[in-house]
Amino acid sequence: MLVENCKLAIKSIKANKKRAFLTMLGIIIGVAAVIAIMTVGNSMTKGVQKQLESYGVQNIEVYISTIDYSQELSEEEQENLKFKPEDIHSLSEHFGKKIAAISMDSSLGNGTVLVNNKKAKVDVTGVSAGYFKANNLKLKSGSYFNEYAYRQGTNVALVSEKYAKQIAGDNYKNEDVIGKTYEVNLNDEYINLTVVGIYEEQKSQGMGGSAAGVQTTTMYIPLFTAWNFNHNKDMYSPTVVAAEGVDTIALSNDIKAYLNQKMANQLGDKLQIDAYSNQSMIQENNKMMNQLTMAISLIAAIALIVGGIGVMNIMTVSITERTREIGTRKALGAEDSMIMLQFISEAVILCLIGGLIGMVIGVVIGDVASKLMGYAPTISLASIYISVGFSTAIGMFFGYSPAKHAAKMNPIDALRYE
Amino acid sequence: MSNNGVLLSARNIRKSYYIGTPNELEILHGIDLDIRKGEFVSIVGQSGSGKSTLMNILGILDRQTAGEYVLNGVNISTAPAKQLAKLRNKHIGFVFQTYNLIARTDSISNVEMPMLYAGISPKERRERAEELLEMVGMKERMHHTPDELSGGQKQRVAIARAMANNPDIILADEPTGALDSGTGRMVMDIFHELHEKQGKTIVLITHSNELAAETPRIITISDGNIINEKINEVEGLMNNPERKIVC
Repeated sequence: MLVENCKLAIKSIKANKKRAFLTMLGIIIGVAAVIAIMTVGNSMTKGVQKQLESYGVQNIEVYISTIDYSQELSEEEQENLKFKPEDIHSLSEHFGKKIAAISMDSSLGNGTVLVNNKKAKVDVTGVSAGYFKANNLKLKSGSYFNEYAYRQGTNVALVSEKYAKQIAGDNYKNEDVIGKTYEVNLNDEYINLTVVGIYEEQKSQGMGGSAAGVQTTTMYIPLFTAWNFNHNKDMYSPTVVAAEGVDTIALSNDIKAYLNQKMANQLGDKLQIDAYSNQSMIQENNKMMNQLTMAISLIAAIALIVGGIGVMNIMTVSITERTREIGTRKALGAEDSMIMLQFISEAVILCLIGGLIGMVIGVVIGDVASKLMGYAPTISLASIYISVGFSTAIGMFFGYSPAKHAAKMNPIDALRYE
Repeated sequence: MSNNGVLLSARNIRKSYYIGTPNELEILHGIDLDIRKGEFVSIVGQSGSGKSTLMNILGILDRQTAGEYVLNGVNISTAPAKQLAKLRNKHIGFVFQTYNLIARTDSISNVEMPMLYAGISPKERRERAEELLEMVGMKERMHHTPDELSGGQKQRVAIARAMANNPDIILADEPTGALDSGTGRMVMDIFHELHEKQGKTIVLITHSNELAAETPRIITISDGNIINEKINEVEGLMNNPERKIVC
């Protein structure tokens, strides 16, 4: 019976192609809009999440901030925004295995290296052992700094691939750079650094290139080396890398509580410790993106509902037009339920076809739009289920009342209808 | 059949329409009618006499206001809608003045429709529909839609459709009313054939005394009452050499 009804419905839709298309248009636009928006939203969420994750999923940013943002700090008070190394070190003692590494860095500023008329611009940054882990920085060749280098602050350095090319040419060999000692000019103060390794550049690096053509890349040195050089151990925002499997959101709260208590004297009543886990940022970002997507989808869903009303309109017209046919069918022995099934099938098929066309259009638009915005398109399967399911439901819902009206007709009244 | 082969039995059937209280327009004033299996009955009357209203009630397309109507042992007044649909489907075949074929649907699908509602398999439906169309001489037009057929052809398809589920009774409401005399004749001949050869019970509603005279039993209705009923000596219509054989 269902198959027969579907055949009947398709026949009836075919008989009125133009009208059927116009009816479907509302559903097509609605479904396409919902799917396109959800796809773009999904792609953006995933894109941003990926970027945030590249900074380290287990990272917790710790810093000191003013409790009341509107309050101005005196120069003296501003000194209190800095961490003391011993406070940071106390974290690894207190939290033990929960912390995999603590990343600290201190920049010495921009410098230049001149070798045989070849020039490289560098940003010399002193880092703790945890820095590479926290920033997901991988070695291309050579080695990281050893324990001794960190403890004693020896004059060793890690350079970028770009630096190697700038100094030793595009076809440099590792030994052309590694093991070599370079004199770095930091505002006319000189420091000799021996390269021990070349690190892999991340996408975000190398972007800060100067217009002159020579790009500035970061040259990493042990934190102690930097401290020794500028006699300044100030630390604004260390990054704590939580151990694998540790709940970073809980840990960030614990760190906050611990440091607030430990550093109470320094903080006074104007300052406080803030600890922010990357995970919570990812979560917050996802939550925000999802809410945004839902809100816009909801607006698109209104198009679906309007489309549904269009379907109801057409079904009502179609049933009025075919009143005599309904009368004839009843005279031939059709039960009310069969008449109803026929018209509901027609509405559902109409919506389903519209939904499928809309789905294809929506996926294409979503895909192209995501690519244009620079995100890898992630087609939202949920959006497809939702919109196809929704368009079927619309067909049922908006087809029901006209179908019921048709089924309930007295056969003779339907037959006599002019 | 029970009750000495009585197929349908109407007792004191009244039908009235409310055209705003207290005005009530009574169309049928208490009709008593029995039709036995195998009868060919014509109901004649002027336009507005109530004959069509009576047919609609006999065909369960409409309900009487008062009185009792029993068809095939089923009391129509108390039967549920589902059973009434089944009765229309299996026990009654309708032939209308305006054919009432389903538009944009070919002849064979039209003939198959009552069988579809009876839940007969597609293969069986097609076979029977072809058989019936052949019987009325419309087999070669089985894939034509109603708008590609003449009036007489449409009516022949409609008769084939009425016969689809081999009903107990065929109700024909002015079946030749929209046809010229030639094609009207052909349609009448098919009814005679069904009656005489297959023993079908046929009720013919007509305003034409001439057509009524062809049937063995004539009931005359006027102003909602049966005013005359006579048994007609029909002399071997089937044996008339001038009669064109159509099926």
